[in-house]
Amino acid sequence: MANGVEILEKPNQSKKLVTYSIILLIFLVSLWLSSQSEGPSKFPKVVTDEFTFTAWVNEGEDYLKKNYRWITKIIASYIKGAYYFVEDFLIDSPWILITSIIFLPCLIAGGLRLGLYSLFVVYFWGATGMWEPSLQTVALMGLSVLMCVFFGVILGVLCSQSDKFENFMKPILDTMQVMPAFVYLFPALFFFGIGGAPAILATMIYAMPPIIRLTNTGIRQVSSETIESATSFGSSKLQLLFKIKIPLSLPSIMMGINQVIMMALALVVLACFIGAEGIGGQVWQAIRRLDVGWAMEGGLCILFMAIMFDRFSMSFSKSVEKLPSDVQKFYLLPQSWEKYSIARILEKPLSLSYNFINYICLKITNFTAYISEFLISIFNKKIGNDIGEFISRRYYIIPSFFIFFAIAFVDSYIFTFGSFPEEWRLSIRQPITNSVEALTVNPGFIAFTKGLRAFVYLNLLRPLDIFLTHIPWWYTLGVFVAISYFTVGIRFAIITALLLLFIGACGIWPQSMITLSSVLVSVILCFVIGVPLGIIASYNERFRNIQNVVLDAMQTLPYFCYLIPVLMFFGGGIVSAVLATVIYSIPPIIRLTALGLTQVSGTYSEVSRSFGGTLLQTLNKVKFPLAIPSLVIGFNQTVIMAFAMQIVTPLIGGKGLGLEVFNGLARSDTGRGLAAGIGIVLLAIIIDRISLAWTKKQREALGL
Amino acid sequence: MKLSKKISTLILSLVLLIGTFGHANAAKRLHAAIADWTGGIITCEVAVAILEREYGYKIKQTVFPSGTGLWEAIAAGELDFACESWPSYAEADSVMLNEDLIYEGKVVGSYSGDGSVDLLGTAGIIGLSDYWIPRYAAEKFGIKTWKDLNNHKKEFATIETGNRGRLIACPVAGWNCHDQKRLDLLGIDFQADELGTEAAAIAEAKAAYMRKEPFMLYLWSPHWFFGEFDMVGVQLPDHKVCDPDTFTEAGNWKDCGTKGWPATGWAKDYTMNYGNPATFAKPEHADAKKFFENMSLQNIDQAKMLVEVDIKKRDVKEVVNEWLDNNPNKWKSWLK
Repeated sequence: MANGVEILEKPNQSKKLVTYSIILLIFLVSLWLSSQSEGPSKFPKVVTDEFTFTAWVNEGEDYLKKNYRWITKIIASYIKGAYYFVEDFLIDSPWILITSIIFLPCLIAGGLRLGLYSLFVVYFWGATGMWEPSLQTVALMGLSVLMCVFFGVILGVLCSQSDKFENFMKPILDTMQVMPAFVYLFPALFFFGIGGAPAILATMIYAMPPIIRLTNTGIRQVSSETIESATSFGSSKLQLLFKIKIPLSLPSIMMGINQVIMMALALVVLACFIGAEGIGGQVWQAIRRLDVGWAMEGGLCILFMAIMFDRFSMSFSKSVEKLPSDVQKFYLLPQSWEKYSIARILEKPLSLSYNFINYICLKITNFTAYISEFLISIFNKKIGNDIGEFISRRYYIIPSFFIFFAIAFVDSYIFTFGSFPEEWRLSIRQPITNSVEALTVNPGFIAFTKGLRAFVYLNLLRPLDIFLTHIPWWYTLGVFVAISYFTVGIRFAIITALLLLFIGACGIWPQSMITLSSVLVSVILCFVIGVPLGIIASYNERFRNIQNVVLDAMQTLPYFCYLIPVLMFFGGGIVSAVLATVIYSIPPIIRLTALGLTQVSGTYSEVSRSFGGTLLQTLNKVKFPLAIPSLVIGFNQTVIMAFAMQIVTPLIGGKGLGLEVFNGLARSDTGRGLAAGIGIVLLAIIIDRISLAWTKKQREALGL
Repeated sequence: MKLSKKISTLILSLVLLIGTFGHANAAKRLHAAIADWTGGIITCEVAVAILEREYGYKIKQTVFPSGTGLWEAIAAGELDFACESWPSYAEADSVMLNEDLIYEGKVVGSYSGDGSVDLLGTAGIIGLSDYWIPRYAAEKFGIKTWKDLNNHKKEFATIETGNRGRLIACPVAGWNCHDQKRLDLLGIDFQADELGTEAAAIAEAKAAYMRKEPFMLYLWSPHWFFGEFDMVGVQLPDHKVCDPDTFTEAGNWKDCGTKGWPATGWAKDYTMNYGNPATFAKPEHADAKKFFENMSLQNIDQAKMLVEVDIKKRDVKEVVNEWLDNNPNKWKSWLK
């Protein structure tokens, strides 16, 4: 047996050796080439002068502006109308009405816990003085989500019905997700005007893909037996779709809505750059005034809002668990505390009031149903019956409306509630600002940040920048094509060559190499910091739980919020840009390392330990190799996020393609911005495909 | 099935509810840009507050980054007006304005563009841009003018610049500061780092000041930074134009060597307000047009408000309204 393994491994090993030496050779040649060249490598001028992509885009844009703007203006005016309608309603209404409009649905859908949480969120908006901006964000996000869901479900259903359409949509969806929003945010402005309308449309581009995908897969996953039995009962194709397939795929669609909400929130914040009001604008203003505390408050408003909407939309796809009749149902405390009598006593009044409210709601609903049934039955008995039945099924919605109307009535005739009471203001700005300023002048901390900055710049960024920009372009291109040929295949190698040639021909080769080097450095740092954290998390559950909360917050907090502290501690420039990128893109690698290591089934590590493997050995020889696929996915996501962040880093001194996008937009030169944006997308796509293909090979090799 | 109904009723009922409370409002409306630096915000807020108080306007304000995009948005009628454009930095003014800029009866600039944007009049603020170093650094090293900078360039160096000094430069390329070109022409061995946003530049400068490190910063005055920190200008050579037609686009300026821009400092910026021609041609907005022609906010007043807003962290509207209440003599004359 042992002999057999050796024989099998021998040719394999020599092959490996050859591969490694080839890689080393390629690397050495590139080092020599880059040390030979005097300046950054540039694409031949003949090509870049002929290939005037930017001019073509700008001409196209001008043509569209001249001839089709009237159509987009009409669309925009409708969206704008709807937006102002919702916004005016939210802001002009008494605050108690708004609170109850947010509180009651949360209470009904998510129970007492979510209800109380929603009250806290609403209080926080008011207490930090962000009542109006928060509601503006809610209005903007709400409308975007409605439109995303409407069009997304239609497109998803179409995708599920036709394979051709699905194949047609797939690359479009990919591009929609990877394209930096900044690239289309500004052109949207010239077609759809300022403020709400272009923000909503840009959000749709960004946030629609998940709902299309999930509707599609949801419908496709409906089991064939169900479909068959429906068809055998004589359902037509349309009946099958609307009565069977769509209802059965609702959980999947709800999941899509949940993701749409999260992504819409992220983009709505960004939309402050094209004049959309809301918390994004507040945070941006705070940053311009270097008010860290204010920016943080805005960030927390969004964070809490995101958690609320997340839980709210999740509660629809969660089924209610049935408890045995002799167990007391808990409304606030965890159900597992049922064994403590003190918890049972504390829950008693809640359960009583729940029953009481339930009873009242039922009575009110039934009464309303009876009255309306009676009134309408005078004219038409059947409709009356239907309406009566319709109302009597809605125990909660009807009483909620009674509450809304009661508040509105009191507000307009008896006592004006007005906006959120000033006296309830409670600000956490000052402490945050103070602690950041204390750190800024703390000599020990500054010595650390300076050391880190020097290390990252001298040892990582500068050498890599010079190396990558100085290698002749044809050599880099050749290496990329070779890598994609060996990992993916000949077709993708050709595509890679074409994509890179496009980047070169646009005349942005040096910038794209700088971007590549920033991304590489960021990813290396993410790896070095993230993997150990992931390992610790995989061994210690409490650490993992705390870490998950922190990571969730990091991903939902708008990245503007931490830009200012980074600047104050590290100074502006490419190092800060890299650090901001690391903060933004580290969560996936931590999560997936922890996930990969915990998923390695216990038997493997058990076996290893029984053979006398130490903790380190088990980790190194058994767990890590088995966790590689999951690690690579984490790496992959980190890379994509690092690329996405390149579009933001110019705000604090980042260079490369992101700066090109900004400079293009500052001069309203859409072509230049678009070319650079496409450059980022193409680099991301190439690296994404290569690493995915590599994972697949690893998986196959491991027999997973 | 139940779920979908639940959702549809929720949505439907919300729409219904909104329908019952929505209401229309009839007032004279204008749409203004909120600038991306505090001075500009205050100037515009003064105009907005007076228009709302005295002429019964309801003015919608939208945060909008300055630059060519803003000018195009105004030309297209997306926005009605914006405030305090600085001629040295604007790129679009010579293309889109077609009028003389008059300050206290004197013509201080003239434009012959296509007139797609209307020059509403001077804002009153006279801007000045320079390179600045903190007073403690100037005194410690004995730096009086830009000519002394090379002797102390090592003190101003950072990890990224190596032996050369570092200038926290004009943050946005679209402002056409040509910092590196100026430094090279004047023979100052410094590297100009563009940090992308005003916030980035100021954040770094503020942190460096708090740590009492030497640094050189490009900045314009009036700015709140001077209210909080003691800075000295390096007194760049006086502004000289290179040729009757100076630069229009970045990189497209005439190379005059050290004889003219950009080897000199910036010109005095007579800032101006600008708006959409169609909007301000309407008879209903004649009052507003007249007001903008008369408006002239003084530097000192803006500087006072800057301190209130940016250092004492007060609300802009509150500060502006307080200034209007306390100094009626300063602005009543704009109403004529």
